[in-house]
Amino acid sequence: MCAATKKKKKTTTTKAVTITMYDVGFGDCFLVRFPAPAGEKRILFDCGSIKAGTATIDDVVSSVISDVTDADGNAKIDVVVATHRHKDHVSGFDNEAWAAVEVGEVWMPWTEHPTDPKARNIRDRMNSLALHLQTLAGTGGVQGPLTPAAISEIALNALSNEAAMRTLHRGFAGNPRRRFLAANNKGESMATITSDVLPSVTINVLGPSRDEEVIKDMDPPVGQSYLRLVDDTTGNMRATLPPFDNDWTIDSGEYAISFPEIVVNDADAAAIRRSAEGLEGIVAAAIDKAVNGTSLMIVLHIGKLSLLFPGDAQWGTWNAALENPDARDVLSEATFCKLGHHGSHNASPVDFVEHVLQKSAWVMVSTRHVDQWPNIPRTPLMTALAAKTDKLARSDKPQTVPVKWFKSAKGRTTAEIPLT
Amino acid sequence: MKSVRAKKEKSQYAQAQPQRRPLRIFATDPMLGRTAGNRIAVSVDNERLSPGPCGSRISVIDYDATQRRYYTPVDLDDPAILMTGGLEPTESDPRFHQQMAYAVAMKTLENFDRALGRRLQFRGKRHRALRIFPHAFYGANAFYDDGLRALLFGYFSADRSDPGPNLPGQTVFTCLSHDIIAHEMTHAAVDRMRPLFREPSNIDVLAFHEGFSDIVALFQHFSLVDLLRDEIQRTRTGISQPTMLVQLARQFGYATGSGRALRSALDVPDAKLYSTVTETHQRGSILVAAVFDAFFKIYQKRIRDLIRIATGGTGNLPDADLHPDLVRRVANEAATTAQYILNMCIRAFEYLPPVDVTFGDYLRALVTADYELVPDDELGQRAAMIEAFRMRGIYPDEVTSLAEESLLWESPGDLPAVPVEQLPQMLMQGVRSFSRNTTRPDEETPQEADGQDENSEADISGQTSAVLQQYATANAGALFLDPGRKISVRGFHPVFRVAPNGQLHVELVAQFAQLRETDDSFGGLPFRGGTTLIVAADGRVRYVIAKPLDTPPISDSRLRQARTRLERQKQFVALCDAADPVLSFTDDAAQASRMRARMGFAMLHAGVY
Repeated sequence: MCAATKKKKKTTTTKAVTITMYDVGFGDCFLVRFPAPAGEKRILFDCGSIKAGTATIDDVVSSVISDVTDADGNAKIDVVVATHRHKDHVSGFDNEAWAAVEVGEVWMPWTEHPTDPKARNIRDRMNSLALHLQTLAGTGGVQGPLTPAAISEIALNALSNEAAMRTLHRGFAGNPRRRFLAANNKGESMATITSDVLPSVTINVLGPSRDEEVIKDMDPPVGQSYLRLVDDTTGNMRATLPPFDNDWTIDSGEYAISFPEIVVNDADAAAIRRSAEGLEGIVAAAIDKAVNGTSLMIVLHIGKLSLLFPGDAQWGTWNAALENPDARDVLSEATFCKLGHHGSHNASPVDFVEHVLQKSAWVMVSTRHVDQWPNIPRTPLMTALAAKTDKLARSDKPQTVPVKWFKSAKGRTTAEIPLT
Repeated sequence: MKSVRAKKEKSQYAQAQPQRRPLRIFATDPMLGRTAGNRIAVSVDNERLSPGPCGSRISVIDYDATQRRYYTPVDLDDPAILMTGGLEPTESDPRFHQQMAYAVAMKTLENFDRALGRRLQFRGKRHRALRIFPHAFYGANAFYDDGLRALLFGYFSADRSDPGPNLPGQTVFTCLSHDIIAHEMTHAAVDRMRPLFREPSNIDVLAFHEGFSDIVALFQHFSLVDLLRDEIQRTRTGISQPTMLVQLARQFGYATGSGRALRSALDVPDAKLYSTVTETHQRGSILVAAVFDAFFKIYQKRIRDLIRIATGGTGNLPDADLHPDLVRRVANEAATTAQYILNMCIRAFEYLPPVDVTFGDYLRALVTADYELVPDDELGQRAAMIEAFRMRGIYPDEVTSLAEESLLWESPGDLPAVPVEQLPQMLMQGVRSFSRNTTRPDEETPQEADGQDENSEADISGQTSAVLQQYATANAGALFLDPGRKISVRGFHPVFRVAPNGQLHVELVAQFAQLRETDDSFGGLPFRGGTTLIVAADGRVRYVIAKPLDTPPISDSRLRQARTRLERQKQFVALCDAADPVLSFTDDAAQASRMRARMGFAMLHAGVY
């Protein structure tokens, strides 16, 4: 299936699926195109960035719209997929140009459903936490493994970008149908759907799950208990009033004289304070994981090819998919894989890379170094992938993209995978 | 003015201190409401107390690190307080909080002392006693901190919009929950006996810590018979249904598991859970559910005759109030059974290996320890326990069947006796510390390695240590230790137990441990091996409980066992990595010690892991 055919520079008569990875810096923007009897079909996976690449996100939006404009001047996309609401996947939709683009369907995870109570719960909690963390990081009152700057970045990434979400929920031309997808709506283990705008294409949805267990990742307990300490009206930490009347207090100096055996030295006092605080970093990391956990994990079956787009799905979703025999089979047949979460450790389980992913599969990674994530992309992961396949393209190192398999141009890398 | 006194008043009879000190506590978590009958009287061993209260093993220090202030320490020897058997339970007086923390912590310790047959000590190089901070910080958390050798209890404000049974914005104190205090105290006790259980070398280790702490809290609560009596009468549900006891636990504010453990006790036990559940608290609650299951079966057996008598053989109890005599007897049976189970669970501790514990190891320890004390299993405790573990898919490694004989730990082959005649001082110290009326707390020294320094030796006399070291090295093969590596003597102490038939059992327990270095895939933890020896009073080794390293010389089957352990440890690190959201944020330096960073209870109890 993955025979090494040299591609002609001119338009080829071999039917192929074209996947274009736009260089958004740190973020995702992938356009899938394939020929169909009624004309070219186009699916856009995400469009966003938190750190620009060689072009701004608005320039990328222009490129995308230009690529989807027909000869008659109409911009058309059959399906727009927003895998999850992180800014680095949706910020590009905050752009007026989208109003003129005709879209057939918009796919989002079930956690984006406007009225589903569980979905609202999850969204509300994520927003409260993100908002609060941002306030706190601004005052510098944080400790722990993450710096205030990092926490602020994470919070910003998580805070809903209202304009972008508005476009996704209510924008675009052509009055597109909005679909909120889940891996297991009716108790089946993996959802298989079709779409009117993509005839003869089957779609598997492997995430997000509706299972309570997996949902817990989206609403982490540490976040819940942390929020107890936050004043819901002001978003600040609750004022910590003394728990007892002042008359029960003894001045430290007098205490040291009267009860010398049970004085607490400064080091211990500081240690106690430290052990109780510094949760902000953990909570920030947990929210980041939570929002990633809402990612759509989609496999498109076009002809004989199967294209895996896992968004930024984390271990919870992956584990559920890998444990499920049907889903595992689907994953093992993937011809193409967009690497999850910009090459982070949690989004590409070792089991998947070593035992499931096909040898010589096409792999594309949209990533770039950012300070708050020193471990993205994860070097051992990239090394393992390079050993598995030579069809590997990463947007942060365009010089390493093999010209044998990919077409690189300014601001984009394209793979053409033959359909036959 | 010195008043005159009769000579007899100086006699031992007149001078003797009372054995017990009455105190009062909140029986159910005030976080869950203010029901009448919430306050009960308990009693603890009487010891000399200074303000705090500070005794020989526990010091309550009311320092608030968030407010940076001290609250006044209570003097429990104040005549006014003694007269009423302790301060009246109240949320607004910090002195009562100190009293309650002391009372429940001491009750927990007493359960350990009694079941283990020795007094647990917390004295270390840097600390004289275990410290308890009832209002340590502002936060919705409570945990044991091994570095500080302290229990830290937080306090926080109830939600304004969703306060539950509290007033909106009211302060909630974790130190007023019996279950939380007992749970944290157990962590401290476990850490004292097996400090290496703090290292998460496999997926069961931290879950065991959590599950065992829940078990002690739960069954200690059930042994408060006054409380049971009131609740049994109040709930009025079928007393031979498990729901009643579950409701009790929920009402008690079975705080740490949020009732989760008992929920799973009621569900049909799923043998697949043990192999699929990975989260620490959930895994721990499988253990709790198994023990609760066994407890309930035994309790049912014990009340069967009472029901027969009360219902004339029909088994149909009245819908309205139950006869108070019946309630009293049933409550006694439940409390007695709870105490038996608690003792059984704690006693099993001595029969655990020094490192890398699994639930399967604990089952073998339970069976072996109980077999030693009650060979005939008259109460059916062992059979119930084995069945409960089996139904939840918990199978020990390297065991051919679940028959009792197969579950016992290995008896040694040819092993010379431990030269105990060279260790009389040790034995006498043990006798003194366990016997009533002879305790001189300041003389007692702990007999285990101070857990603060993970590679430290047991604080035993040089002579004893040398004797044991020599013995271990000379018999390394039979003890499954590697003579080519340093063997640390981690502990050596005598235990004294009384069987139900009145017979006294004396045993000696020795622990040896060693390690080898590992690479980055272990996240900063070494690979450890070790052996626990159970020795009879004459020096004959009765059981060898070994977790060998993978370095020779050992038999093939043992090598296979060691390699499995190694693999399991690596897999656990990978599992933690996959699920850890902080990993992407860590640089190489932090990564090298990432498993160490995952070791603390603060994060575990905050719901982070």
